[in-house]
Amino acid sequence: MSAAASAGLFSRYGRRKLVNYVFVTLASMATAVAIAALVMILASLIMKGFGGINAEIFRADTPGGGGDLGTGGLRNAIVGSVMLCAMGMVIAVVIGILAGTWLAEYGDGNRLAGFVRFLNDVLLSAPSILIGLFGYELVVLPMHGGSALAGAIALAILTTPVVTRTTEDILRLQSNQLREAGMALGAGKGLVIRAIIWRASRTGLVTGGLLGFARMSGESAPLVFTNAGNQFFSWNVLGATASLPMTIFYFALSADENWQRLAWVAALLISVAVLSANIIGRALARGSQHK
Amino acid sequence: MNFNASSADTATVMVAPPEAERVLDVKNLDFFYGKHQSLFGVDLPVARKQITALIGPSGCGKSTLLRTLNRVYDLYPGQKAQGEILFNGENILAEKDLARLRARIGMVFQRPTPFPMSIYDNIAFGVRLHRKVTKAEMDEIVEVSLTRAALWDEVKDKLDKSGLGLSGGQQQRLCVARGIAVEPEVLLLDEPASALDPLSTAKLETALLELKDSFTIVIVTHNLQQAARISDHTAFMLLGKMIEFRPSSEAFVKPETEAMRDYVTGRYG
Amino acid sequence: MAEAAIAPAGETAPQVKDLRGISRAGRNDAIFHALCLSAAMLLMATLAGLLISLIIGGWPALSHFGLKFFFSSAWDPVADDYGAAGPIVGTLITAFLSMLFALPLAIGIAVFLVEFCPKSIERWVAMAVELLAGIPSIVYGMWGLFVLGPWFNDHVILPLRLAAEPGSFLEKFLGNASSGSNIFTASVILAIMVLPFIATVFRELLLSVPTYVREAAYGMGCTPFEVVSNIMLPYIRKSAIGAVMLGLGRALGETMAVTFIIGNSHAFPTSIFDSGSTIASTIANEFAEATTDMHVSALVALGLVLFAITFTTLAVARLLLGKEKA
Repeated sequence: MSAAASAGLFSRYGRRKLVNYVFVTLASMATAVAIAALVMILASLIMKGFGGINAEIFRADTPGGGGDLGTGGLRNAIVGSVMLCAMGMVIAVVIGILAGTWLAEYGDGNRLAGFVRFLNDVLLSAPSILIGLFGYELVVLPMHGGSALAGAIALAILTTPVVTRTTEDILRLQSNQLREAGMALGAGKGLVIRAIIWRASRTGLVTGGLLGFARMSGESAPLVFTNAGNQFFSWNVLGATASLPMTIFYFALSADENWQRLAWVAALLISVAVLSANIIGRALARGSQHK
Repeated sequence: MNFNASSADTATVMVAPPEAERVLDVKNLDFFYGKHQSLFGVDLPVARKQITALIGPSGCGKSTLLRTLNRVYDLYPGQKAQGEILFNGENILAEKDLARLRARIGMVFQRPTPFPMSIYDNIAFGVRLHRKVTKAEMDEIVEVSLTRAALWDEVKDKLDKSGLGLSGGQQQRLCVARGIAVEPEVLLLDEPASALDPLSTAKLETALLELKDSFTIVIVTHNLQQAARISDHTAFMLLGKMIEFRPSSEAFVKPETEAMRDYVTGRYG
Repeated sequence: MAEAAIAPAGETAPQVKDLRGISRAGRNDAIFHALCLSAAMLLMATLAGLLISLIIGGWPALSHFGLKFFFSSAWDPVADDYGAAGPIVGTLITAFLSMLFALPLAIGIAVFLVEFCPKSIERWVAMAVELLAGIPSIVYGMWGLFVLGPWFNDHVILPLRLAAEPGSFLEKFLGNASSGSNIFTASVILAIMVLPFIATVFRELLLSVPTYVREAAYGMGCTPFEVVSNIMLPYIRKSAIGAVMLGLGRALGETMAVTFIIGNSHAFPTSIFDSGSTIASTIANEFAEATTDMHVSALVALGLVLFAITFTTLAVARLLLGKEKA
């Protein structure tokens, strides 16, 4: 390229540089938009959430409408959510790990495995509201009413595919020679999986559980149908209980200022749980990669 | 260099130990990966309490042959073996109780595969599979196995530490210790030193030479010098066929087939 | 049996004492296998149950209204007349709009992270994107309802409405939503929700382009823009489209964020600034108070339609992405 040709904004090279510059600027702006959105949302969450916290949050139950600003708390909702997540996680982790193990260890060369994997993905991407509908038909109708159990089952249906997927992925990472070494000693396949492969995959399995937990605690739609809420405190898993997401659903859409305040606090609590689980899970995943 | 496996020049030359001395006897073994055949009518006599080395260029089938001896290929659908493999007179290809077979024929793999447990538990794991022993008995088994694998001195103070924390050479010797702890008759080793540095290799070879007193050993190796150093019998394979089987003292000095001569003198790898 | 423990093998073949142990181990293996298989079968059964319950529940409405169900926008619980056109259109429009907003941004972010981002802040930016993905959907809904909606209404819609002449095209274009809850803002929220997921997948896809391909392009003197647009994006085209379909699937099914901010009107929307509804928001809002069986069945039928739409999207996505990444 002669010196004349490479100089000047409207030369071919200059045009290319301009296009590139515009592109870089747009890409940077896109990133800035995303970060700005994050900052704005977190700011609202923190300001309104923390702003609404008082000593009563963990002591008092959800109040009736029309209360003075600052009254009432979220105790029943928090306990309800903890119950839901605990029960749901137990179901999801047990079934998820077993199903993922089947896919990874027993599924090769098996056409059924490919089919199951596909169905797992369908369930994974299914709209959560449809899972809620199914939970309604499956548990609520026979039991003549919503309950924490129904909610936990619906949440478990939502979360199990996540655990199944991560379990299968992490088990497949283990080298076949490790399996062969166990079997070469005379151990049966089941023992090799349980005593050696699961142990070797410990970190990954925990990560899968955490990611599943993050999904579960952030979901609200299934609860609309299965465990719509309870104004009062309740330990009874066979009956409806309050929960943080449903509390938000009712309170946020109301015109009551006190209720709206509580909704923001509840939103903050859920976000803290979900984001912590996400961060810890990804930190664990990164940590084990660097070994 | 004539690679045509059907030429008369590559027919099997066997100087085999007498039948009475054979603990394993492979007869006319064919092996298939799905439709693809990788072993063709292979014979392999394995003498009791001696070291037999399997050598040959990459892809000749030596690892495949080794893996038929303890039926580890059974893990993979689509792989099958035809022929006879006599273990103390019984055909193991017909054997149903694989766990028991593998208690008697052990295996050490190319890359060290310590279990994600303590060093002690690595060794105890296999033993517990097959019998009940007291804690005192287990302690003794662990010590004896590690000593025979030439690892005891290096790990005796950290038996409860994870096996994954050892160096590569140590891990491999741990795998050897693990394999001999269950008291097999035969120990199979698939290129056990290929991932190790020369010093660790030397330690491993020394251990194997001493183990010969108690175990029959079959070792696949890429390293001709290693085969010459430690083995009593050498089996040379090419393209899925057994070409030559001789006592090692003769095999490297005056190989009989042209194929083996060329391999041993480095004309091809 | 201490002596046997250290006796040289071969002289006495090891006596496998606990023969019961061997066959018990065999039985244990079979039990474990059966357990794992049952779990996998349970997954299958759940999906089958989901589909069946949707079909059974929605059948009364579908058979009663027939094809009219998909084209009528009547929604009258009193007269028990239901038509799904409003929610279906709302679902499709919001999903489409959100992808329109999200896709360029997501590609921009992915490219930024891979090509231009200074190494020192790359970790933080990537983490920020991940955090954005982690925010629960109901929080997005709240933010939309309390922050974005009112802001949009006060600073964009109202001023424009005041400035528009009555009966003009502009006035009609600005729609009928009273607060900031309309299809447009719902799409914006949806876009912000879907954006981090697509950005992450695109980033991984771009990182999967072999280094020698990139280096060859740069070596020829291409500017970064040319490398990305001419070489890298085409390289990942098939998987990229699959990723887009996956994002679309998420946008279609999202409930909570949309319910808060779409205004919930069943009328067929004439402007993107109208209130509207999606299938998910309709079901969420009305299910608890649905009185008649036909109302319930209509809602379930809506659910079936949504399932069909998202399933198709997912199937296409998988076909394009291949089996691994989904």
